[in-house]
Amino acid sequence: MNKIVALVLLGIGVGSAALATNVPEIDPASGASALALLAGAIVVMRGRVRR
Amino acid sequence: MDASGDSPSQPRAPFALQRLIVLAVLFSVEIVAITLWLDNATLSGRSGLVGFVGTWGSWILRGATGFAAIFSTFAWLRNRAPLAAALFEAGRSHIAWPLLSAHFALIGLFGVLSKFLYGTTPSDAVAALWLASGLGAIALGAAAFIHPVFWLRMVRTTGYLWLWTLLAVLFACIAGNSQRALWPWATDLTFRMSRILLTPFVSGVVADPARATLGTPRFTVEIAPECSGLEGVGLILAFGLTWLVLFRRECRFPQALFLLPAGAALIFCLNSVRIAALILIGNAGAERIAESGFHSQAGWIIFNLMALGFSVAARKTPWVSKVAAKSAPPAIAVENPPAAWLVPFVAILAAGMISRAMTGDFEWTYPLRLFAAAAVLFHFRRKYATLDWRIDWLAPAAGVAVFALWIALDHFTSPVPESMPATLAAATPAARFLWLAARVLAGVVTVPIAEELAFRGFLYRRILSPDFESVSTRRFSWVALAVSSVLFGFLHGHQWLAGTAAGALYALVLLRRGRIGDAIAAHATTNALIAIRVLAFHQWHLW
Repeated sequence: MNKIVALVLLGIGVGSAALATNVPEIDPASGASALALLAGAIVVMRGRVRR
Repeated sequence: MDASGDSPSQPRAPFALQRLIVLAVLFSVEIVAITLWLDNATLSGRSGLVGFVGTWGSWILRGATGFAAIFSTFAWLRNRAPLAAALFEAGRSHIAWPLLSAHFALIGLFGVLSKFLYGTTPSDAVAALWLASGLGAIALGAAAFIHPVFWLRMVRTTGYLWLWTLLAVLFACIAGNSQRALWPWATDLTFRMSRILLTPFVSGVVADPARATLGTPRFTVEIAPECSGLEGVGLILAFGLTWLVLFRRECRFPQALFLLPAGAALIFCLNSVRIAALILIGNAGAERIAESGFHSQAGWIIFNLMALGFSVAARKTPWVSKVAAKSAPPAIAVENPPAAWLVPFVAILAAGMISRAMTGDFEWTYPLRLFAAAAVLFHFRRKYATLDWRIDWLAPAAGVAVFALWIALDHFTSPVPESMPATLAAATPAARFLWLAARVLAGVVTVPIAEELAFRGFLYRRILSPDFESVSTRRFSWVALAVSSVLFGFLHGHQWLAGTAAGALYALVLLRRGRIGDAIAAHATTNALIAIRVLAFHQWHLW
């Protein structure tokens, strides 16, 4: 989970740097939702455990 | 509520962590204020130090923010125990009020100098003083909240992490600012690929390479340099590099490095597919969908699919993964504990992204979010039956308090109320009623359940332990409260402050008796009152 949080934080950091200009193809207003969706999907994908 | 601290094995830092959070909030507010106030474009074309500030000022600000985020994240991941001990020591000292006063004095000086620098008579001397006052304010603010000994110990404990972080940030800033040199080449290539993709579907393709305009006789777009696909390449490279560093023990090297150029090349090509699809949608008569919803969402959809594809490939392909071959024997049961807590929220986000991409000025397909969440909640119904759904009287009361706070803060962030969207107002009464019913039902039922399961039920406890389901829903932690609330706030756009406060209050409601039902009831109450305000008082900007 720490790694996932780190990944999201880095994503936000890199995303904010990449969005230096108003880039239409990567709409900044949707960035938070898109990163949350990605983080959630990765957590679920890596969440399988053997019991 | 259990005040048992962040971890039984670590010493508690009674005030240092809270102070770090306050410091981060203070710096964030100051940075946002500076960013909104000052426009570096006014300094473009100048020479000397003034020109340097104009060209690199915003990048320095981004670099500093990125440095703080990356350094603190990796410092905490790699040196958690010694840093927790140092924080504990730092918590014993008091806030240095004289230093904090000096910080605010320098911020005031920074403001005065900004008026000169960004006014009509900027000079190198003013620029030097401006930079010095800004850096001084940062140093004084940091030293006021946390004793400098802690910062020194943090640097010493983390070795050369500061250097690697600095190099990474410098590279990102220089590459980001220099990538404009690649724009003409990338635009030309994207233009050619989009034209090739378009040709089999449209007769009489309109293409003007000199102006980079492409389309059909009915619908034409200009491929701006910013649309050349390089931002997507940058994002997937950053994601891939981070993934390979974090999960390096699962990867086979050097084979895994192949994923980086492969991902970059694929996302660059998919950008051309996006542009060709946009033209085809516009050519089919849906110009507003092409220009509005699809244009803004398709980039994120492609990036998310690429990032998920990258992570699946890195984990499941035996050629690049060490863990791919280790699948569970059929006799061993495989469970996915986070799924029931997270998938409803993920489904709403995914449905929202698709829904926005399919619509133009007004999101007619919003009910997709309701149906997606309802289907997932139904799928996990047996799991939810085991949760505590009882509701205390305080839950709706807290929901009312959050509503009052939300409306109060809304006065500052959205001073001009919006009336009903014209498209909805022009719809037939039946269509309008159905859309409004779905919107209210989602806001009051599925959204509160999905968000409380994800943020309070899962994230709050997952921060405390990998085995999150074993963590009591009454265990209090400042870290979990702050992180889960701030991330919840970020998802509420310009209402991030109200969102963060709302997240914290819902968490406190949950912690009081440990019932998820309380948090959901509080959240549902807030959303129901907001819906009433929207419908009864025509405050449509609240949705």
